[in-house]
Amino acid sequence: MILFLALGDITRMAVIRELCRGPRSVSELARPFEMALPSFIQHLSVLEDAKWIKTEKQGRVRTCTLNPDALALAGGWLDEQRSLWERRLDQLDDYLLKMKKTEKKEKKNAKD
Amino acid sequence: MRKIELNPATDLVLDRTVDVSPELVWKAWTVPKHLMPWFCPLPWKTIECEIDLRPGGKFYTVMQSPEGQKFPGTGCYLEVTPNERLIWTSALGPDYRPNEAVENHPTFTAILTLEKKGSGTRYLVQALHSSAAIREMHEKMGFEQGWGIALDQMVAYLKSI
Repeated sequence: MILFLALGDITRMAVIRELCRGPRSVSELARPFEMALPSFIQHLSVLEDAKWIKTEKQGRVRTCTLNPDALALAGGWLDEQRSLWERRLDQLDDYLLKMKKTEKKEKKNAKD
Repeated sequence: MRKIELNPATDLVLDRTVDVSPELVWKAWTVPKHLMPWFCPLPWKTIECEIDLRPGGKFYTVMQSPEGQKFPGTGCYLEVTPNERLIWTSALGPDYRPNEAVENHPTFTAILTLEKKGSGTRYLVQALHSSAAIREMHEKMGFEQGWGIALDQMVAYLKSI
């Protein structure tokens, strides 16, 4: 759901529409909005976290582009669910190995 | 254990092997303290979790977006076979009472199957979705907020780069 939830906002929707026309700098994107820059940047970081956009800094200018993968995801709701599950299970597997280590330590301490 | 027929258009299968015991994998799925750290892909977080581990029992989580928006979800366990199989659904709430439909959230049933493999565990996650709900969601996303227009523009843009 993250991909679509990230889009559930008029400002972010407008940013995506604008980026459909090509890459834009942060200040170009922010211009039409009556909003403090930090609040606008917060919207950009939600889109970036959800993998809708990529940003790159060159000198003092940060440029935003659409992430081509987002299209594939947006086109396939099921693919998005798969990617969500993959990420969730990656976290699970990492967590399980941590749990295993902790349990070993606890057993060892109980013995000592 | 009976095999469940899957529909590739609506269902997902994830098949993993991890080098820990089935008991530990079971614990990570059924104890809130051990489920919360991994259940939500970062930067989202699971901030609340309640588990009543019995068929008909409640599975409740609250996810939080990076901006602090909260998304609660209540599900119901359908099968609880310790260290072997766990089945739950978002279509029902505690004691099998049907949940109210939530917009843009197709319901699902998830089946977790564990199998001991040497010193480790092979686990399968099968997620089943209702096809009508998926279709409806695609349509909603297409017509709300000019999503269809944005998508067309995006296709055109991506073809041009």
